[in-house]
Amino acid sequence: MAPDIDYLALAPEFTLAITAVVVLMLDLFLPRSQKYWTAIVAVLGVSFAALPLIALAVSDVGERSMLGGSFVVDDFALVLKGLFVVAGYLVLLMSVSYIESDRYYQGEFYFLMLMSILGSVVLASSRDLITLFIAIELVSQPMYLLAGWRKGDLRSNEASLKYYLLGVLASALLLYGMSFIYGLTGELTFAGIAVAGAGMAGDPAFIMALLFMIAGFGFKVSAVPFHFWAPDTYEGSPTPVTAYLSVSSKAAGFVALLVVLYSAFPEAAGVWGPAIWILAALSMTLANLIALRQTNIVRLLAYSSVAQAGFMLVPFAAAATTDAVGLGDAFAATVTYIVIYAFMNLGAFAVVIAGARKTGSGEIEGWGGLGSYAPGIGLLAAAFFFSLAGIPPLAGWLAKLVMFGAAMGAGSSWMVALAAIAAVNAVIALFYYARVVKTIWMDPVPATAPDEEVRTGSVAGSLGLAMGLSVAVVVAAGFFPSLVTFFSEATRGLAGG
Amino acid sequence: MGWFDNGWGLSLIVFLPLVGAVAVLFTPKKNEAAIKALSLGFTVVTLVLAVLLAFRFDFGAADVFQFGTSLTWIESINSGYHIGVDGISLPLLVLSAFVTVLAVIYSFNHWPEPHNPKGFMALTLVLATGMNGTFVALDLVLFFVFFELVLLPMYFQIGIWGDKAIMKIPGFNREVETRLYAAIKFFLFTLFGSAFMLLGFLALYFKSGEFGTRTFDIPGLIELAPNFTGTFAFLVFGALFLGFAVKVPMWPFHTWLPDAHTAAPTVGSVLLAAILLKLGAYGFIRISIPVLPEMAREWAPAIAILAVIGIIYGSLACLAQTDMKRLIAFSSVGHMGFVMLGIATMTPVGINAAIIGMVAHGVITGLLFFLAGSMSHRYHTRDMARLGGNMKIMPIMGGILGFTAMASLGLPGLAGFWGEFMALFGAYSPLAGLNTTLFRTAMVLGAIGTVLTAGYMLWMLQKVNLGEPSSEWEDQHFHDVDAYELTAWVPLVVAIVAIGVFPRLVLGATNDAVVSLMTKAFGG
Amino acid sequence: MHSLTSFAIAAAQETGHAVEYGDGGFLAEWAWLLVIVPFLAFLAIIFFGKRLPREGGEIAVGAMAFVALYGAALFILNATQGVVFEHSVEISRIGSFAIEWGWVVDGLSSMMYLVVGLLGFLIFTYALGYMKGDVRVTWFFAAFSLFAGSMLLLVSAPNLIQLIVGWEGVGLSSYLLISHYWEQKENSSAGMKAFYVNKVADIGLIIGTFVVAIPVGSFRISDILEAVVGNAEAMETVAIVAAVLLFIGAMGKSAQFPFHVWLPDAMAGPTPVSALMHAATMVTAGVYLLGRMFPLYAEMAAQARMLVLIIGAITLIIAGLLAVVQDDIKKVLAYSTVSQLGYMVAAMGAGAYTAGLFHLWTHAFFKGLLFLGAGSVIHSVHSNNMSDMGGLRKAMPVTFGTFVAGTLALAGIFPFAGFFSKDEVLAAFNHEGYTVVLAVGITGAFITAFYMARTVFLTFYGTNKGHGHPHESPRVMTVPMVVLAGLAVVGGWVNIPGLYTGFTGWVGTRAHLFEEHHAESFDWPVLAIGLTAALLGIMGGYLLYFKDRETQQARDSFRIPLLWPLLEHKYYLDDLYLGGIVNPIKGPVARFVNWTNSYIFDGIVNGAGFLARAVAGVVYGWFDQRGIDLALNGIAFTADGAGGKTRLLQTGKVQQYAGATVVGAALLVIGFVIFR
Repeated sequence: MAPDIDYLALAPEFTLAITAVVVLMLDLFLPRSQKYWTAIVAVLGVSFAALPLIALAVSDVGERSMLGGSFVVDDFALVLKGLFVVAGYLVLLMSVSYIESDRYYQGEFYFLMLMSILGSVVLASSRDLITLFIAIELVSQPMYLLAGWRKGDLRSNEASLKYYLLGVLASALLLYGMSFIYGLTGELTFAGIAVAGAGMAGDPAFIMALLFMIAGFGFKVSAVPFHFWAPDTYEGSPTPVTAYLSVSSKAAGFVALLVVLYSAFPEAAGVWGPAIWILAALSMTLANLIALRQTNIVRLLAYSSVAQAGFMLVPFAAAATTDAVGLGDAFAATVTYIVIYAFMNLGAFAVVIAGARKTGSGEIEGWGGLGSYAPGIGLLAAAFFFSLAGIPPLAGWLAKLVMFGAAMGAGSSWMVALAAIAAVNAVIALFYYARVVKTIWMDPVPATAPDEEVRTGSVAGSLGLAMGLSVAVVVAAGFFPSLVTFFSEATRGLAGG
Repeated sequence: MGWFDNGWGLSLIVFLPLVGAVAVLFTPKKNEAAIKALSLGFTVVTLVLAVLLAFRFDFGAADVFQFGTSLTWIESINSGYHIGVDGISLPLLVLSAFVTVLAVIYSFNHWPEPHNPKGFMALTLVLATGMNGTFVALDLVLFFVFFELVLLPMYFQIGIWGDKAIMKIPGFNREVETRLYAAIKFFLFTLFGSAFMLLGFLALYFKSGEFGTRTFDIPGLIELAPNFTGTFAFLVFGALFLGFAVKVPMWPFHTWLPDAHTAAPTVGSVLLAAILLKLGAYGFIRISIPVLPEMAREWAPAIAILAVIGIIYGSLACLAQTDMKRLIAFSSVGHMGFVMLGIATMTPVGINAAIIGMVAHGVITGLLFFLAGSMSHRYHTRDMARLGGNMKIMPIMGGILGFTAMASLGLPGLAGFWGEFMALFGAYSPLAGLNTTLFRTAMVLGAIGTVLTAGYMLWMLQKVNLGEPSSEWEDQHFHDVDAYELTAWVPLVVAIVAIGVFPRLVLGATNDAVVSLMTKAFGG
Repeated sequence: MHSLTSFAIAAAQETGHAVEYGDGGFLAEWAWLLVIVPFLAFLAIIFFGKRLPREGGEIAVGAMAFVALYGAALFILNATQGVVFEHSVEISRIGSFAIEWGWVVDGLSSMMYLVVGLLGFLIFTYALGYMKGDVRVTWFFAAFSLFAGSMLLLVSAPNLIQLIVGWEGVGLSSYLLISHYWEQKENSSAGMKAFYVNKVADIGLIIGTFVVAIPVGSFRISDILEAVVGNAEAMETVAIVAAVLLFIGAMGKSAQFPFHVWLPDAMAGPTPVSALMHAATMVTAGVYLLGRMFPLYAEMAAQARMLVLIIGAITLIIAGLLAVVQDDIKKVLAYSTVSQLGYMVAAMGAGAYTAGLFHLWTHAFFKGLLFLGAGSVIHSVHSNNMSDMGGLRKAMPVTFGTFVAGTLALAGIFPFAGFFSKDEVLAAFNHEGYTVVLAVGITGAFITAFYMARTVFLTFYGTNKGHGHPHESPRVMTVPMVVLAGLAVVGGWVNIPGLYTGFTGWVGTRAHLFEEHHAESFDWPVLAIGLTAALLGIMGGYLLYFKDRETQQARDSFRIPLLWPLLEHKYYLDDLYLGGIVNPIKGPVARFVNWTNSYIFDGIVNGAGFLARAVAGVVYGWFDQRGIDLALNGIAFTADGAGGKTRLLQTGKVQQYAGATVVGAALLVIGFVIFR
């Protein structure tokens, strides 16, 4: 018998898939001068994908489960799908002008982008190992190609190759772990694993499998010591792709972590909690320290995103030593952080694109005095970077608050220690975030700066829109945190908290 | 005026400046007149509302929070938009609104370089929201947000409009522009403190869960105060202490202050000295003591010792300064030392002393920084060795400087006296159970501190105001105080005298509130 | 409101005096005007002074005229019916303590009102002439009025806080007026010196206030005395400690050893200032404080009283000796003032309340007069030094006459004012059995007479060694001198043991709070010895400076054998204070503190910053970019596998990264084991 398919539930995926195909077709048949249509279609497609999400959100059917519980559309899925769609939308907006300015083909770019988005949207619903693995690969594979988009640029190739090789290794680790789990529990669905694996928390094989999976995810979220690919890849890839890598694909990694750990291995929290404690501490501290020495703005953001991953991991570590409510808190905290991080980091990269255009430099020194000739961009830069630093009234403070909250809520001295580490790191981080703002606003315009009309040239509308949307969210959420917490609270259910 | 009393009035006082900042941001850069008008208008309306508030304030019930409201804000963590003023916050709120207006007026013809009034005014207005908000917030998260909100504007004011002189970082062969060094130092230092303060808040939040629903609500936490004991409370108090002590600043967390004050543009230093320093001490009175009375009692001796070291240390450091503005900056360390000594006594007298001391320091040191700014504006130097005979060159400014210096050294009849005198008075008989010998030693040292204060203040006057002007100024034309300066300063002078001869202006509001707060905390 | 009245009467019944007191009626109730008017004058002069013909002087004089009249009225009122009136207005509360402003009208305060008002009026008038054409007349009169207001605030204080406010107020005006000619550094330094010395002493006053106020729970002097004297045994320690501390405050204001060093320097101010503040009124504030708090000393703190006595005795002798060797006429008078204050303090210490205040009263007249005379001389010869004077008696007859009157009064020659007061003080010493102090006092009398004689002869006799043509001062200056001269004669007749002792009753209203041993008649032996000592002193001055003046006038000063080195350096006290306290603090200590701030506390902060950068560099360079190699030499497996392919790349790090990933996974396992 054919499995019953809930088409509304799958509507977003279908929309994206169809759009992707259409884009590909258009790219084949459109003349060179008309290629920009691909961009428009892609953007529209992504926007349309949001509509069924809204429909699902307002529909009174609580949880739509199909394919024997492998694919579930619940609040968690909806919220994260929404995030991925919006993030993808913003990235596409950033891409338009950026890609146009290159001489490379457009169609493929948007096709690949859409496929990756599709992957992340599926990921949010996947509730068994296979679906999850496929989804994650679907998110990553297009990125391997996109990272090397600028074919002529050696650094771009290098970026792509490194990302590819290490990505494969990570996938291998992941799959290795998964297969072990399946072997041990005989289950694929997380619900099943949760039940079957309840007693296995002590089993070395089980533990190793779990840790290998974490290592695999660690790569996706670029946590220390699985981050080595990030700086080079970020620097080499086209900036919009970097933005996507540092937000959507990182978020995808976190979503996978959330779903797997909380819904498949709640009993084993005592195993993965401490492991992630280490990852969090390492990521925060090392990445922040290293970021202090970066001179290239993209590299700086690369390490910053590693550090941010560390912050996002903190609540996981808390989950190990807390009760059901605490579990829910930790879960919601991570989601909150992801959502806010997505917007502020996308905004930061949008600013980097605009700024690089105006200053003609990716080196921070080159940005001196940007605020004097492009105050708008300077202001946005200040907003996003200080949001990343977690300074009120910008949304970043809320992310930090819930993160600290999860840590302190656990009520174990280990977690208090981690919170203290995080606190110190927040201070270190401020130093390099502030350094960028300081260069923009307080340093003189360097001699190397391009001439007048470049500096005062207008920013592409789509890019402006991207920055506008991001800053709107970052500021609004800073004053009205409920805008974000409303959604993240909705996802609690998955943690059973 | 129901709308005014049920939270709207207070909310306006807090957020009008922010609205003003947005309005300024959307005004074209060229249209300075409009920018001035907007910023002045918004701050003046804020002040008017604050004064109206003071008039409608029920001094009979100064210990209950008035004009407040409590709305849900962040539902998920049960943090509310809970605001209100009692006798303790009222004077500080009014002070903040008051000084902001004067700062705006003063800046009208003292735009620091680079000019850009638009940005400067916008930042000042944001600053005002942060300061006013901190004084009315009754929810820890809300408090934290406002407490931190002041950082960004001050960072930019110091960093962009600050002192461009090159300084050598002592002990390292590194040279950097003073403004850049001071700005980031201020920012990092304060964030370091407040990060741990936030951890403390969270710890309280979760602990409160053990006695009902988790809450960030300050009055609510005060009700639970008896439950916060042991190591937990000790550590929490320590965390809060870190946050507040850096802001005050207490010795040895003071080192950001001299640099920040000296580097900041005049208006920046004024607001920094007049209001920002008060946020920390206010935090002690509003949160640390009532929520963790047990620990306050335990920490009191440590606070007292640090406070007294601060008094002596700050005064001695002043005697070694050659830069007039830096001397005034260091004097704040000493004066806030008296404030903290008052708090450390944990007695109604001491806390009252602390509050009136804060208000006095606000108006006095604010005025001193105005003067220092205007003088370096005219002489193009702050080096006291080159200044001198100012009384001859600019009699009025010299006169005001002399007057303010006298107020600053705690002359009776002027505002500065009550804070110092009463702090020492409180230290003579601290809260029962505290080590009297220690506190009396502190009192004597503090009294010696008053002599040292007189020492450097008169010394500064002699160097700057008295004597014959040095020859280098002979053929230069100096014009004495202008209309803007007078408009900004005369109110402060009046306030200094008024508070000095009629301390009830402040104590009338605070006393009952403080007494009931202390009775709640430490019993009758 | 009348707590004091009831208390005083109750005490009076206890001590057997049945005295009736009036409440002074409206005069007392409106006495606050006394305090307000000079302050108003201050403001008026500041704002409108410049526009007036006399540059504000007239406002000041007018205000003082009012004070003088009102003071006189109150004085007479008290003299006739004995007033005890006290009124307090609460201006604020702090904790459970009330901060009050109020005013007291009783014997003690009304006597001070009169002295301040009368002397103030005369000397202000004098100043109209003296300060004519001064650089900043307006400011002078403003500050002078400020002083008068503060002094009256102090005198009228029913509570210690108000007293402290006035106390520091007079300190401020003293600072302002001493540094009046601040163009010269030494003048402003003199002002600062006065301020600092007093500020140090004030620590005693302030802490003393705490000591009594806290147990009593009130700052009101009446409450404090009532509570302390009321339950003596409970409060004894408090009383002693407080008495000593308060006295330290008094020592500062009244220039008692070792705090006397500021007063001679204070002569840098204009002479009217020296006359009114640093001779007649302000410096007697300490004595006034002792009088106000006298029950404390008389009843409770015998030990403290002993200290007062000794300090007073020391002061009177050492200052007297210093006066002998001065060439600056104002310095002579300054040290003389210190010495006379010594008499008053010692008298208080001996328990002779009336004697002390009586000497304060007479001293105000003749010392004020002497300063005015000195000022008149300086005004005409444009020098302070007696070595530039001489032979002025013909040129300045009025000045000469009045100055001599003042001299005789100060020397204590019958029937001048000083005779009676000084004799009463000495008598008190004798009566209380303080023989040593009595001897010191008599020696002091001799010295006083000697240096005054010396001053007169050096200034007015012989030949003028100055330049230019000395001339008599204008009316506006001489008239006040004449009036004071009159007072210097008759001022003492208000308290003649056996004949008429009105003064005792006038200032005595508070004296009924305790038993005062008051001489009923002259102590003839003491009187005789004291008078002889004075005459001998004058004789000595005559011999040395009149007969033998050629040899003497060659020198600028009379060098007392043996003592000279000590006196030349003013007992090394200034050197001690400067070299031992002020300079070290201002110099090395302050610099050291500042150094620690830059190099230790800032050093830690900056160091942390640089350290972070350094660590970051290492982590980045060795761990993040290169250090992986190390890890990989251990796990070389990927190197061969991936090496070939990746060597194409500029930086072949992939295999290292991969290795790191594996290492990381392993790390997790290890980490887990640790945590387990």
